[in-house]
Amino acid sequence: MLTLAAMGAETAAKVVPLAYPGHLWDQMFDIWITLAVVIYLIVAVPMVYFLFRYRYKKGENEKGATDEHGNIGLEVLWTVVPLIVVLYLAIQSAAFYTQQRTPPPDSMVVKTSGMMWAWEFEYSNGKKSINELWVPVGKPIKLELMSKDVIHAFHIPAAKTMEDAVPGRVNQMWFQFNETGEYPSFCREYCGTAHAYMRSTIKVVTQAEFDQWVNPS
Amino acid sequence: MQDTVATPYFRATFREWILTTDHKKIGILYGLTSLLFFAVAGLMGLVIRLELTAPGVQYVNPDLYNYLLTGHGAVMLLWWAIAFWGAFSNFLIPIMIGAKDVAFPRLNQLSYWFFFSASVLVLITLIPSQQIKMMWTGYPPFVLHNNAGPTGIYVLIIILIAGSTLGTGVNFITTLLRMRAKGVTLGNSNLMVHGLMSSIVVQLVGVPAFVGAVIMLFLDKHLGTGFFSPETGGDPVLYQHLFWFYSHPAVYVMILPAFGVFSEVLSTMSQKPVYGQKSMIWAIWAIAALGFLVWAHHMFTVGMPHWLRMFMSFTTVLIAVPTGIKLFNWVATLHKGAIRLNTAMLFTLGGIFMFLIGGLTGIPLALPAFDINVHDSAFVVGHFHYVLGMAMTLGAFSGVYFWYPKITGRMFPEGLGKTSFWLMMIGANLLYFTMMMAGIEGLPRRYVDYPDIANWASLNELSTIGAFILAAGVLVSFIAWIRGLKGPEAGSDPWGSPSLEWTTTSPPPPHNFLSFPVEVADDWTPYRYTDDSSEKS
Repeated sequence: MLTLAAMGAETAAKVVPLAYPGHLWDQMFDIWITLAVVIYLIVAVPMVYFLFRYRYKKGENEKGATDEHGNIGLEVLWTVVPLIVVLYLAIQSAAFYTQQRTPPPDSMVVKTSGMMWAWEFEYSNGKKSINELWVPVGKPIKLELMSKDVIHAFHIPAAKTMEDAVPGRVNQMWFQFNETGEYPSFCREYCGTAHAYMRSTIKVVTQAEFDQWVNPS
Repeated sequence: MQDTVATPYFRATFREWILTTDHKKIGILYGLTSLLFFAVAGLMGLVIRLELTAPGVQYVNPDLYNYLLTGHGAVMLLWWAIAFWGAFSNFLIPIMIGAKDVAFPRLNQLSYWFFFSASVLVLITLIPSQQIKMMWTGYPPFVLHNNAGPTGIYVLIIILIAGSTLGTGVNFITTLLRMRAKGVTLGNSNLMVHGLMSSIVVQLVGVPAFVGAVIMLFLDKHLGTGFFSPETGGDPVLYQHLFWFYSHPAVYVMILPAFGVFSEVLSTMSQKPVYGQKSMIWAIWAIAALGFLVWAHHMFTVGMPHWLRMFMSFTTVLIAVPTGIKLFNWVATLHKGAIRLNTAMLFTLGGIFMFLIGGLTGIPLALPAFDINVHDSAFVVGHFHYVLGMAMTLGAFSGVYFWYPKITGRMFPEGLGKTSFWLMMIGANLLYFTMMMAGIEGLPRRYVDYPDIANWASLNELSTIGAFILAAGVLVSFIAWIRGLKGPEAGSDPWGSPSLEWTTTSPPPPHNFLSFPVEVADDWTPYRYTDDSSEKS
């Protein structure tokens, strides 16, 4: 038993998500999909049952019941229960969202500018790169999003987060990759002819490789 | 001019159609114009789907693709999902409340011809040099950029549409308040009347903000003002607020009349009163009012104040409550009914199922914690096609089948109608469910091309197959409606409904009823199906 529990704890500890704050979106998704399936069944099952049970039959069932106009108890029930469910969802979302939007204090800042049709990344030492965002693994990254022309949006599917790059404003988003590798990012706000090609690659490397790249000696 | 009202529309000449002020003829004009544009925008949608079948650019270049997206979106929303209800409002509201015509028939005529003029301008954008590629949302500063095409024409189209909408709004609100027959009240009139009227009121309140926004766009682009461009101190986000202030309520303009159809058809085809009629009326108006407090959920990622984002998230989920009331009441209406599963009923049931899925997939989009990953993805596109695409279209088709005998005096072929329903249902679910799945996997919207990652390619392929099945279904309905014109005579009340439109002949005479004044008993309701109306329980 104890070994099992220990093994369980070990695997739980090992389950570090590929990227933050994507794990919060996964939790939100699970909560929603569970509730959605339950609500779907609550509506659809009686509906389909009634369709079979109360079919029109000549001579037998030609007119519906005349005494059913409503029932205050039932109507209160299906007003109050959905109200509680959606309020719970909105409160849960607010709690998650605060974490999804608040970068940890030790985040590394990268200035990110969208333009038709490329992304430019600028690091604190002034180094710039186009369409390649180099970041160290295990380090929270805060992007300061700007635009040089029209509105763009920076989406990282693996980290399940995004934000718009709006001219005249500085928006922010954060993420952290826990495994090295190359991950795509996409422009998510329509910006003209080459919108679909406004992609960049996030190169997640070790801290040493990153230092080497950002400060070649 | 008097002649053009006195002649029944099925015997009217071309000149009479052009000059008519008869609400029924104008309703049919709206309907036919709308169906024509539905077909055009549908074909645009098919080309878009064809292009997305596989990664890479195969059939249309990116600029043409962007034009097709703009055209498909704007035309489907303005010419189909909104304008087609104009056909129902015109044809049905005066008859359902027992009136001869609308309050201001000439204004009604003017509204249609504004709409017609806008339609001509839309056709001009088919000319390659006139193609606008700004998406129907027309966000600045992109619109101010040359890459967006000649956007001035879009502004002109919206102004003409707004003229039509505002005229219709004033006209129908006056009609409903001043021209009801004795005994018909706001409390006992048809849910279809409430569905249509709520959408008309929403338009009257919302459209001015939308027109204001696009006129500011025009001034920015052509006269050098700086409302929306940051270099001159403007703010592009301001446009989004103004735009969505109407364009979110606009989705209720499209769906509330469909709710009206669902209630009418469910009740008639079950031969049972609508369950909770009073709460159904309240729910319609609650949705219409709440709809004005939720617009910024389209802008969760634009970088607005945190409190506003949270406020809009809570107001948006609250809309689920009156919507849920409607769904549960529809289900309860079926209980102990005498249900006839004919074409109109199938379309209504299908519409409710699609709305259920569309509603359940809409709730997470109201949650910023969820939206942060699926904003502007194919998930959003799939979701709103369930609601606006399919729930609205199935509702509209159900309405056409339901009132077809009244409008034409003939019965359509049931077999074709049912075939059309099943094709549309299967096609649409294949098309839009796979689209939502692709969105969950990360596929962005408005992409002409995409890399072959995750399951994007296979999901897109299934989507395209679904699109063609859906199109085949729509085509079968068109055939059913044309063949129905030579169908057997329908009689005045083929479905067995006590609602006022079924008490007059099919098609209705020039002034709707054979004898005036129209009058109903104090305890009248359009949903009492007992054979002897004097018998009271």
